[in-house]
Amino acid sequence: MSENQTKIGVVSCSGEDCLGGTISRLATRKMLEKIYPEETVTICLPLYLAGGEEERSFANDYPTISVDGCSKYCAKRATEKYSGKVSAEINVADIIGKETAEQGPLSGRDITSEHLQMVEQVVEQIQVKFDEVLNKPNSKKKNDGDGGCCCGGNCGC
Amino acid sequence: MGKVFGLIAREATLQTIKKSPDTAETLCLAYIVTGDDDAKNLIEGQKCITIDGCPAMCAAKNAELAGGIVEEKVRVVDAFRRHRGANAGTATELTDEGWQITDEIVEEVITKIKELSKEEE
Repeated sequence: MSENQTKIGVVSCSGEDCLGGTISRLATRKMLEKIYPEETVTICLPLYLAGGEEERSFANDYPTISVDGCSKYCAKRATEKYSGKVSAEINVADIIGKETAEQGPLSGRDITSEHLQMVEQVVEQIQVKFDEVLNKPNSKKKNDGDGGCCCGGNCGC
Repeated sequence: MGKVFGLIAREATLQTIKKSPDTAETLCLAYIVTGDDDAKNLIEGQKCITIDGCPAMCAAKNAELAGGIVEEKVRVVDAFRRHRGANAGTATELTDEGWQITDEIVEEVITKIKELSKEEE
C-alpha cells in the first residue's frame, strides 16, 4: 500500500438467498476488519434506495468493487443503477463454483471450516482487485477518515 | 454490513424461515433493490414482515417500494431495550447474548406469522 491511501468501497450483496451471498458478506467483512481496515469502506446495499444523496454518491466518491454471491449480480447492478460504475466486480460463484454458491443461505450457527476456506478464497480475489484498483490512476477520492464506513467513521450508516 | 444490528436482522430472518418453512419465505433484499420485474413480481401484493437492523429501515422501505404489503416492521434496536448494555457481538459474529436477542426476535416474528396466517384462513 502506498502512503497516500485511497479508500476503496467494497459492496457486498446482502446474501439472504444463497450460500454465495453469505460468503460474499463474510469476505467483505474480512476486508473491513482484517485485510485493509484503513483502506476499505462499505455501504449497505439497500441504502441506495432507502438513504439519501450521500448514499447514492457512494460509487462516485469511491472506486468500488462489487462482490456478488450469484449470477444475479445484484450488488453490481444496484450500484451501477443508483450510484455509479463499479471499478471491479467479483462473482463468488466463479470462485467456489456455481452449484456450491447456489446452495441455501448459511446462518452463522452453521459455518464450518470448509465455508471459512471459501471466504479466504474470495478474500484473496478481492485483494487482487483491490490492489489493481489502487494502482489505477485517477482513483476517485482520497479520504482522510479512518473508519470502515462510507461516512469516514466506523458506523456503517 | 456495518453493525451487529444488521447481522441480527439477517440471522433472525434465516432462523424464522427455517422454523416456518410452510408459512414464510424470504427474498434477498439486494434482489429487491435492483428493481427487477422478477423481484417485484415475487413481493408485489404479498403480506410482509420486515426486520430492520437500524433506524434507516431499509428492509421496510424497499419492500414497500417494491409493492409489498408490510404488515409488521420489526426493529432490532427495539429488542435491545430489553437487553441494555448487552454485548451482542459484531457485524461479523454474534455472541451468546446476540444469539439470545436473535432468538427472541424470531419468536416475535413467528407469532406474527401465525396471526397473519389465521387472518387469511
